Amino acid sequence: MDQATEELTQSRDREPERKREIGHDEFDPIGTLVLIGLYFLILVALWFFMYFVEFLGNDPTVVGLVLTVVGLQ
Amino acid sequence: MSEARDAYIDNFPAEAKVVRAAFYSSFFALALGGVFGIIQTLHRTDFYRFIDPADYYTVLTAHGVFLVISFTIFFLVGIFTWAITTSLDREVEDIRFTWAWYLLMAVGITLSGIAILAGFIDSIDMSASVLFTFYAPLQAHPLFYIGLVLFVVGTWLAGLDWFRSWWAWKAENPDERIPLPTFMVLTTTLMWYLATLGVAVAILFFLLPWSLGLIETVNPLLTRTLFWFFGHPVVYFWLMPAYMMWYIMLPKVSGGKLFSDPLARVVFVLFLILSVPTGIHHQYLDPGIAEGFKFIAMTNTMFLLLPSLLTAFTVVASMEHGARQRGGTGYVGWLKALPWRDPVFAGMALAGLMFAAAGFSGMINAGMNINYLVHNTFWVVGHFHLTVGTAVALTFMAVTYWFLPQVTGKALWSRSVALGQVVLWFVGMTFMSNAMHRGGLLGIPRRTAEPQYDGFEFEAAVGSVGELDAQVALGGVLLTLSLVLFFANVIGTALNGRSDALPANEYAETLSGPEDAPLVLDNLKLWTAIAVVLVIFAYTFPLLSIIDRGGLLGPDVNPFPVSLESVAFLTFAVEHLGTAALESAGNAVQTVVPGVIR
Ligand code: HEM
Ligand SMILES: [Cu+2]
Repeated sequence: MDQATEELTQSRDREPERKREIGHDEFDPIGTLVLIGLYFLILVALWFFMYFVEFLGNDPTVVGLVLTVVGLQ
Repeated sequence: MSEARDAYIDNFPAEAKVVRAAFYSSFFALALGGVFGIIQTLHRTDFYRFIDPADYYTVLTAHGVFLVISFTIFFLVGIFTWAITTSLDREVEDIRFTWAWYLLMAVGITLSGIAILAGFIDSIDMSASVLFTFYAPLQAHPLFYIGLVLFVVGTWLAGLDWFRSWWAWKAENPDERIPLPTFMVLTTTLMWYLATLGVAVAILFFLLPWSLGLIETVNPLLTRTLFWFFGHPVVYFWLMPAYMMWYIMLPKVSGGKLFSDPLARVVFVLFLILSVPTGIHHQYLDPGIAEGFKFIAMTNTMFLLLPSLLTAFTVVASMEHGARQRGGTGYVGWLKALPWRDPVFAGMALAGLMFAAAGFSGMINAGMNINYLVHNTFWVVGHFHLTVGTAVALTFMAVTYWFLPQVTGKALWSRSVALGQVVLWFVGMTFMSNAMHRGGLLGIPRRTAEPQYDGFEFEAAVGSVGELDAQVALGGVLLTLSLVLFFANVIGTALNGRSDALPANEYAETLSGPEDAPLVLDNLKLWTAIAVVLVIFAYTFPLLSIIDRGGLLGPDVNPFPVSLESVAFLTFAVEHLGTAALESAGNAVQTVVPGVIR
């Protein structure tokens, strides 16, 4: 790639286009709350799903696994 | 224009050389580790087998050791040295000392590496195919342990170097708060000192003398426990530098400021305190450790979720701050305002996203009872390719695109290739890791050259084992391609000419600065003391009871330097003793358990 343009884009992109300055007191991280809340819901859903994988899908694991892997069942 | 340049190499030319050497050592290890990674992936999944299955463990050991010992640690000593010098704004106290620890590390890991790789050559009577966990009764050539000792001592001296800088700075600035990056380096170093005590005792008192023939036997459970005393916190030794990058670089590249300096300090203090007294959570299935001790380890582990969740909040909030300053709006719309085309940003953000996914599989691993479902299965491999293999490795590769120009004075060879590289890693890891997790749920074991058995098939509720294998192999190939792009960029940059247009050597400012952090946070002595006390609580009784039961040097065990004779011996042992034992155990279980459960 052309070295000069490359460097140009670099220095341009590195200087983030700051449209406004937001100080500590004006900043309200509501989007963060939304994302973390979403993550939390996903965790709860997966946790719930685990119940089916672990307890309903299989025989109790310790037993089912050992016996099947060594071919006794 | 050139006199205006203010990169790291301009202000710290001597230090930049050491950091660069550490980076190149790290990348060399990454290249080697990657080669072994694709070999074992294709072998396991039966797409392409060209090595002798007996050599699989040599490959796996090389993959593990080169990636999680040399790649990660060389990289982090590089960025820690950068962080100390930059944030204290002072040169190292004595550059010869800095070179000395770097060289010690390099010599050490070379010796260990030779011992490992010699395992491929039958005519050399040397091997170290003990996996990166090197438990007894697997036994390596003494050179392997000696190399590791030198390497770790090198890291201890590196820590001393960073502390010397801080002490000297403090003498000149008695009333100032410790700058955040320095604070992070120092707390991580203290944690590392505490953690490595376990592995030092395991190697120096037991494994090395045993391998040299000075003592006949060791107590395997004791050395295992000492290994995990180190083996859990070592993951924070990899992770904390990545966190540091998320705290002090990511806000800057997002166009914002770090949300909270005090929260960042709290997180690092929590890691210092809680990292070590949790190692037993890797031993939930070890007989010989009482359930109560395992329960304590589980409780400490759950507390460790706290600093990770705090990190998630602080880091996302800092990104949001950047996005809103760049004009982003809405509840989730602000995400679009982030600089996704910047490889440094995109790589770190994707690494963080993967880490969030790893949070779930980590919670499964951490639960004492659910752990039985996944213990030693392919699930675990899927988990840590998300954590160390992506959250850490991808963050390191992404920040390389910022650091490399800083320490070489040359422009990055190609930003588009860099962007492609980080995205490819993310996609490849999505395939590989997801399929590994699912495979684990079916009971597919890890650390197995050819996980296929006569007369037995793993049953998949969704999809098939063939489909899982294909995804693992596809993922592995994409990851390997991603590595090729990475090295192309590293080499291309090294071959570039001097650049006059480099960004200045800076890290993120803070929205809420150290003046808001309680002074006690900077009291490193206090936190170290608490950490030591917790370790004493968590480990004294388990260690005493292990020694009490098995003896300091253990019952008589046969060492297994993994060679063909010992494989033959193992086969014999398994066939003649194992079947008998399994039969009787199986009978017992079959008669007792169904009665209890069904
Ligand atoms: C090209 C990219 C990679 C591929 C294709 C790959 C593939 C694999 C596979 C298939 C295994 C499991 C082998 C088995 O259990 O039988 C494995 C194990 C492992 N990988 Fe990777 N990996 C890659 C990158 C990484 C990275 C970047 C790291 C860490 C920084 C890493 C760390 C590990 C570790 C620690 C193990 C476990 C070794 C052991 O069980 O002793 N890998 N890898
Ligand atoms: Cu752990």
